Amino acid sequence: MLLLTILLPLLGFALLGLFGKRLKEPLPGVLASALVLASFLLGVGLLAQGGARFQAEWLPGIPFSLLLDNLSGFMLMIVTGVGFLIHVYAIGYMHGDPGNSRFFAYFNLFIAMMLTLVLADSYPVMFIGWEGVGLASFLLIGFWYKNAQYADSARKAFIVNRIGDLGFMLGMAILWALYGTLSITELKDALEGPLKNPSLLALAGLLLFLGAVGKSAQVPLMVWLPDAMAGPTPVSALIHAATMVTAGVYLVARSSFLYANLPDVSYAIAVIGLLTAAYGALSAFGQNDIKKIVAYSTISQLGYMFLAAGVGAYWVALFHVFTHAFFKALLFLASGSVIHALGGEQDVRKMGGLWKHLPYTRWHGLIGALALGGLPLLSGFWSKDAILTATLAYPFGGLGFYLGALLVAVLTAMYAMRWFVLVFLGEERGHHHPHEAPAVMLWPNHLLALGSLLAGYLALPHPLPNVLEPFLKPALAEVEAHHLSLGTEWGLIALSGAVALLGLWLGYTFFQRKAFPAWYLTFEAWSRESFYADRVYNALLVNPLKALAEALLFGDMGLLGGYAGLGGLVRSLGQGVARLQAGYLRVYALLFVLGVLLVLGVMRW
Amino acid sequence: MSYLFTSALLFALGVYGVLTRRTAILVFLSIELMLNAANLSLVGFARAHGLEGQVAALMVIAIAAAEVAVGLGLIVAIFRHRESTAVDDLSELRG
Amino acid sequence: MSPWEALALLLLLATGVLVVTLRNAIHAALALILNFLVLAGVYVGLDARFLGFIQVIVYAGAIVVLFLFVIMLLFAAQGEVGFDPLVRSKPLAALLALGVALALFSGLWGLNLAFAKDLQGGLPQALGPLLYGDWLFVLLAVGFLLMAATVVAVALVQPTRPLDALRPEERKEEKEVVR
Repeated sequence: MLLLTILLPLLGFALLGLFGKRLKEPLPGVLASALVLASFLLGVGLLAQGGARFQAEWLPGIPFSLLLDNLSGFMLMIVTGVGFLIHVYAIGYMHGDPGNSRFFAYFNLFIAMMLTLVLADSYPVMFIGWEGVGLASFLLIGFWYKNAQYADSARKAFIVNRIGDLGFMLGMAILWALYGTLSITELKDALEGPLKNPSLLALAGLLLFLGAVGKSAQVPLMVWLPDAMAGPTPVSALIHAATMVTAGVYLVARSSFLYANLPDVSYAIAVIGLLTAAYGALSAFGQNDIKKIVAYSTISQLGYMFLAAGVGAYWVALFHVFTHAFFKALLFLASGSVIHALGGEQDVRKMGGLWKHLPYTRWHGLIGALALGGLPLLSGFWSKDAILTATLAYPFGGLGFYLGALLVAVLTAMYAMRWFVLVFLGEERGHHHPHEAPAVMLWPNHLLALGSLLAGYLALPHPLPNVLEPFLKPALAEVEAHHLSLGTEWGLIALSGAVALLGLWLGYTFFQRKAFPAWYLTFEAWSRESFYADRVYNALLVNPLKALAEALLFGDMGLLGGYAGLGGLVRSLGQGVARLQAGYLRVYALLFVLGVLLVLGVMRW
Repeated sequence: MSYLFTSALLFALGVYGVLTRRTAILVFLSIELMLNAANLSLVGFARAHGLEGQVAALMVIAIAAAEVAVGLGLIVAIFRHRESTAVDDLSELRG
Repeated sequence: MSPWEALALLLLLATGVLVVTLRNAIHAALALILNFLVLAGVYVGLDARFLGFIQVIVYAGAIVVLFLFVIMLLFAAQGEVGFDPLVRSKPLAALLALGVALALFSGLWGLNLAFAKDLQGGLPQALGPLLYGDWLFVLLAVGFLLMAATVVAVALVQPTRPLDALRPEERKEEKEVVR
């Protein structure tokens, strides 16, 4: 039964891939959405029964094992639930695209692979899903592959991810060498007692985290995510915001039994997370592409999640994954509706003043931006506040993390308002005739907006009911958090609420100005180039590697010259013989008679 | 004996024709010449060894008739397909 | 060797040379008929009378006429025109033909045969018992072969092949692909 949750979308992939072209629109989208919904219902049903297991013999020592516990069930619900909504949205968004059925085939493939990743109970199985979502992401980023730039973006995403995947594989290899098993359940039991080889284990944890860094676009492997926006907007919403990029966070949470024992690695995770959060937030200011602003905010929010996971608050990280899935999917889909409304325009400088044209999407955008900015009482506020509190309450945290995260929260609120102001307020800067999206695109957004408003109430701060923490606790490692006093906790909440409000107000007023001060323009120029990360990589890595590769190629040519000569000899010999096969019947007849004569001559001899 | 030598010469002429003719029909004519050269030698040998040679020659004629039917059918089919009966044009299968 | 014999053999060789050298296909076919007629005469002279008449009826009468039909049907009388991609092949072909002749001569050389068998004039009465006796199965096999050849010839020159008639739309696609 558990396997069926994966097989259903996979079936959709197979059906749509094979017969999709014969289905008339919107049949492919409906079929794909229905299968994802079925998968969602099945997963929820199984979870309600108390989880499930599936195991099949596969490789020696590495069974193909799936596990549905509260943690994977939680992720399953996010993936299939939000996935379903985005599928439905895509029916409207991809309407009329010649690759409609192909799109939904890839989408279903992605869901199947993501479920494999989430449900896996052993690292190799998770790796299958890991690579599978990478493939689906590659296919979907390059969905409009006729545009060479988009195809390049797809390759970039794939290649950058490979670096992380290598880390994942090496980490697996070390774990295998240490414990002889890659089953997560068994490893969890094996790590109960004192550690065998702490430094090697720390290396394994670091390498696994490198995989997460690649998949979740953390510093220093963050360069692929903004380019991944080349794909259709539903792809950005589903894969590059709500689900796939959070796979890294999920990996860390899944391996929490490992990281809880490795304070140094956890500290590194938290540092990387904070760095990424700051980098993403700062880079979001200079972007002019409506989707890229949201993409950088995704990087930033992922950084928050890693910060939470790094300090040991795994459930908080997942809480933020949950709320983030709603409001970020909402932001992307609202961006999609805006792009749709403007006939493909993505530049925010040519937008503005859409408030009066898009009576529903404006609310979606507002709710998404406010939730992202952390307006008190919205979902983003609760989860971000939980992270802020966690940096002080959990053992691997510290005041430095708290202050850094608080600063980033201000920035987040500001650029969220920048996005909103530029798109919806001010005067109209484009020459379009905006039209509101069809119902099939609005309804998923209504539901996501509802989620963005309410998702935070699953886990309220201390004295108030917290459903999520006890739900996830059994699947996560125990990390002792020292309880803050009630006064401190609510003081912090008030502080973060005030900071968010300040940021939102600052953003709201600042970005409505006609002229910006010089220091801001300088900053914006840097930010627009995302602080030259791509150029630095080109200068430091890509070009030297290219040069090295060419040098090596030259050496290879010399080394292989001898063999090549030998090959050339055989080749010219073959060409000489092949010339006999001129295709002229008479030549063959001549040779035939010659052969007969030779045979006769030999026989007469 | 002179018949046998003539037969050998006729056969060689047929070989020459097969090797030099560029039209499928003329190649075919040369093949008929070779068949008849063989028949002549069969009939010649029959004088020395008995009637079986003549029977064999009869069979050769019958088989030649069958061969002509199929061969000309092929030529007509090829001509329909490519408006040509030149054997040098048929070079699709060259290496 | 009587002068008639010598004349017949010379005629055979001469018409043979014409068959392989004449440029006009119709002329070549006519030369072949001449060759076959002379050959029929030679057969009669060699005590193979039945065979001689069969030669006239089947070869000269049916087969070569069939050739003529096809030549005219395909307007292939001027066969040896156009670009010759293998200009220098003729001497080589002559050399090889000479080699074939020499090989056959060397086989015949020194053969001592007594041409004295009584063939009963090669009449049907003499051939019949053989054909329907020892050679019966060969005869049947050849008959079967002839039937098969007839079927094949009909199938080959049918205006539309049955497969194409069944699925005309696929044939269209095929043509586009070729293009």
